[in-house]
Amino acid sequence: MDTQWDFSCDFEVDFGSEENASIIYAALAVDKELQPDKVKRLMSVSDGKLSVHFEAVEARFLRASFSSFVDILTLSTKTIEEFGKGMAS
Amino acid sequence: MKRMIALGFEGSANKIGVGVVTLDGTILSNPRHTYITPPGQGFLPRETAQHHLQHVLPLIKSALETAKITPDEIDCLCYTKGPGMGAPLQVSAVVIRVLSQLWKKPIVAVNHCVAHIEMVKDGIGFSVRLLTLLLGNCLDRFARVLQLSNDPAPGYNIEQLAKKGEQFIDLPYVVKGMDVSFSGILSFIEATTEEKLKNNECTPADLCYSLQETVFAMLVEITERAMAHCDKKDILIVGGVGCNERLQEMMRIMCAERGGMLYATDDRYCIDNGAMIAYTGLLAFAFGETTPLEESTFTQRFRTDEVHAIWRDKKDLASVNVIDEPGDKIEENREIGTRVKQCRSERNHLKKLDVKAKTY
Repeated sequence: MDTQWDFSCDFEVDFGSEENASIIYAALAVDKELQPDKVKRLMSVSDGKLSVHFEAVEARFLRASFSSFVDILTLSTKTIEEFGKGMAS
Repeated sequence: MKRMIALGFEGSANKIGVGVVTLDGTILSNPRHTYITPPGQGFLPRETAQHHLQHVLPLIKSALETAKITPDEIDCLCYTKGPGMGAPLQVSAVVIRVLSQLWKKPIVAVNHCVAHIEMVKDGIGFSVRLLTLLLGNCLDRFARVLQLSNDPAPGYNIEQLAKKGEQFIDLPYVVKGMDVSFSGILSFIEATTEEKLKNNECTPADLCYSLQETVFAMLVEITERAMAHCDKKDILIVGGVGCNERLQEMMRIMCAERGGMLYATDDRYCIDNGAMIAYTGLLAFAFGETTPLEESTFTQRFRTDEVHAIWRDKKDLASVNVIDEPGDKIEENREIGTRVKQCRSERNHLKKLDVKAKTY
């Protein structure tokens, strides 16, 4: 039986810096999607931009994964803003 | 020589904490923030993670400021790998991965329960760990049934209320060998409390008192049996429940009778905190252990005995959880059996007193 990956979503965040985009990528790539048979996530970095592609078999799985991913993405971005270069050290 | 410094993150449950410690055990800072839910409600993974998201970064700032250190001075970054709730654990893990890359510092993953134990230097290792975790859960659920406040902690409020308890209510006492079961007590309480409270047969204080007496007696019993098996006479209690003064008192009596000592940490270290993670991680780091970024995952289940306590190899602590062949321990077990019977008859006595009180 073929799995139907009917629901998908793409988004891109421009960090304006290849280094920062790679840091975020490396931090977020560690945690795999918890239900790989229901949600897939693909990420890539180019030109200082992080691109994320989600695919899911149902809208609710897509919504859940997307929303928690965005929370964590925001957290890691804020961490760079607060503690990255420019922080008094 | 430069002192070794670790920054530690703890966020496996409803508290998020960041601590800075040095290898000699000095705590330079240890700020923390607790997610407090309304009475009658427990903390859910998603809401707790949201709480952690909001507080983790200000906590790092305050930890560094209080400790008067800069990121350059840090030797390693430690975080709780588990056990705990997934979403809240992820917050610490993600922050630490970013910081590790920004500051070029190694990561050390730490087991939450081992950290509780490690907080007491040269501690005598014995933890009835998972059981007390379960007990904490049991107390929390009980507090929810009674709609007790979650501020500062449900267990604390039960303890305070229990001091006012006058009547002992018989609750299921389930001990099977080395194991205890709290589920019977919970169902029993959940099923009967409302009725009893409505009919004024007992007060919430009585229930708290009876619950504490019963579950702690169960804990003391299995702890004593375990000690007899392992031939240990000292005890260290840790964790949130370990702050309970009544439990400490009961354990202390039992240890004293066996010619041992009770070691209890005060509430600053009993409750989840960042410093305990930092310190445990730093010990591992000092022995050359680090966690590669790709492996800095978190896990809801993480047994204490899965950890190789590399820094403990030369001491006897690493072997404390190994149970000896019973053989010559039978005599001692018999002794415990007698004590248990005494405890039980005491309980029955209390019960009779209650009956009498009612008839008068």
